[in-house]
Amino acid sequence: MSISKEKKVKMFKDMVRIREFEDRAQQIYREGELDGHLQTCQGQEAIAVGAIRALSEKDIIFSNHRGHGHYLARGTPAKKIMAEFYGKATGTNRGKSGGMYLVDVKRGMMIASGIVGGNICLATGSALASQIKKDKIVTLSFFGDGATNIGFFHEALNMAALWDLPVVFVCENNQYAEGTKREEHQKVGKISDRAIGYGMPGVTVDGTDVVKVYETVRIAVERARRGDGPTLMECVVYRLVGHSAGDLGAYRPKGEEEEWRKTYDPVKIFRTKLLTEGILSQAEAERIIKEAQEEVEEAVQFAKESKEPPIEVACQYVYQEADN
Amino acid sequence: MAEPMYVEALRDALREEMRKDSAVFVMGEDITRYGIGVCKGLIEEFGPERVRNTPISEGAIIGAAIGAALRGMKPVVEIMYVDFILIGMDQIVNQAAKTIYLSHGELDLSLTIRVPEGTEWHGGGCQHSQTFHSLFVNIPGLKIVIPSNPYDAKGLLKTAIQDKNPVLFFEHKQLYTQKGEVPKDEYTIPFGKAAIKREGKDITLIATSWMVRHALDVAEELKNKVSIEVIDPRTLVPLDKHTIIKSVEKTGRVLVVDESPITGGVQGEIISAILEEAFWNMEIPPRRLGAKNTPIPFNARLEEEVIPTKEKIIKCILEMI
Repeated sequence: MSISKEKKVKMFKDMVRIREFEDRAQQIYREGELDGHLQTCQGQEAIAVGAIRALSEKDIIFSNHRGHGHYLARGTPAKKIMAEFYGKATGTNRGKSGGMYLVDVKRGMMIASGIVGGNICLATGSALASQIKKDKIVTLSFFGDGATNIGFFHEALNMAALWDLPVVFVCENNQYAEGTKREEHQKVGKISDRAIGYGMPGVTVDGTDVVKVYETVRIAVERARRGDGPTLMECVVYRLVGHSAGDLGAYRPKGEEEEWRKTYDPVKIFRTKLLTEGILSQAEAERIIKEAQEEVEEAVQFAKESKEPPIEVACQYVYQEADN
Repeated sequence: MAEPMYVEALRDALREEMRKDSAVFVMGEDITRYGIGVCKGLIEEFGPERVRNTPISEGAIIGAAIGAALRGMKPVVEIMYVDFILIGMDQIVNQAAKTIYLSHGELDLSLTIRVPEGTEWHGGGCQHSQTFHSLFVNIPGLKIVIPSNPYDAKGLLKTAIQDKNPVLFFEHKQLYTQKGEVPKDEYTIPFGKAAIKREGKDITLIATSWMVRHALDVAEELKNKVSIEVIDPRTLVPLDKHTIIKSVEKTGRVLVVDESPITGGVQGEIISAILEEAFWNMEIPPRRLGAKNTPIPFNARLEEEVIPTKEKIIKCILEMI
């Protein structure tokens, strides 16, 4: 399974887009421009890009509160996401969500869950729909290490395995459940070891290696599409930032973040790899970063200039009715 | 006209909808084997793909139903006892009730959760006899249906299945064996239309679910003393305020009977709705009956002490005239 140079460059571009977007969003948040909560995903870009690249256009994704990268990787315009952060009418959810519950139905991105572990059963049900409809669509659920301690994780994985449902469970093990280090919230060494308890394959990969993530998810997706059932995938990364944009991560051991940034920054790793392999020149890499920065600035501008949602939006579509 | 039991009327509704719409499927714990038997016989006709026994996993049953509904299916799930629905509460409140809103109408959610509630044939005790529909009335985004007889059960379940919103469908355990007339031809009952079960002029008795049976019995028993108008809202969300208020404007007296614990129960909500519109029509203050604010005890006499009964309704009515 070889990946074309073009595809690798595109993957790199998407990773850079996510990094630039999240860095800027975090900065804006810290400047007091945004209301509410904003959980960014720096350090986890390779998972979003690698996993989503392995899906077909019709496949379905259930994202979570740390999901901006998933949407960007799937093609949701940056400006629509940024506008949602600003609560504007042009946002993905017309200002009803903020950063946590993004949606992009057209691209198969169901509503992201702000409840940790909240989407795992839903993804299982989406796969159940596919099994009944025989539509060959695969569903992928993203969640963090913290979510694997939630009862829904257990219920969903058992059900998905029992019924051989076409779903891929992608755990982004970023070492922290909000402020709690993994060693303090679960005893199990590898999260993927839990898969055996459900009767499904479990695999742990380096989540900073976008190619590895892509290849592994592809195997899981093919297995699901064949009708052979679900896979639990653990992608090991490090959350390079605090839990939310306002969190400076003071609970982390001194030097830990710096250490991981040096060795486990997926964007840097991939960039070095592409330069070494001669797939990318230094100048091209710089251009990609510059373009991503421009895209983000345009998104910020768009968000700021966009209109507030009309006041009626507050009470619209509580129900699906003819008179909305 | 045929007189099926409530349980059979529900089954007929499922069968009709499953025959005409391949998106409809049912799942729940032991639904083909055990328990109330609403889904009995469906697996023979529709197969195990569309009639699914599940693990004991209320979170996954409800969550998976939401996920399937997001993909255009119309799942009808059965939760064995309402007491167990709490395991899946997050999925109902944080997910199902929010998807249409958050997608600003881009997503439909044709999901029906059928669930028995209320006191059993005595002895369920505090984790198998609760009444929870009032809890869900307080969650915007859910529709709440609470049919009191076979005719309403069938017509409302068919509407629930085809509705594009999440519907909680509460079936009182005492009702399953009750018989009632159901026409042979297909029909549906719209949400938000209360039924005037008996006309009267002196007092409006609003009752839900199993309490409707008591209300009708009381109205008959007291007919020489007082003319009671019995109204069954049939759906609590949406609530047919119009029919209720019109009745109270006529009678000037109202008693609301519902099995929910009285504090924070839907009885108070209905009374508030009445007073906002019809305060000046009231002859006397409104009254409400519900379960006492205690868990449901096992012992039959203790249980009767806690829940609303026919005798308690009679006592209340006599105090009001």
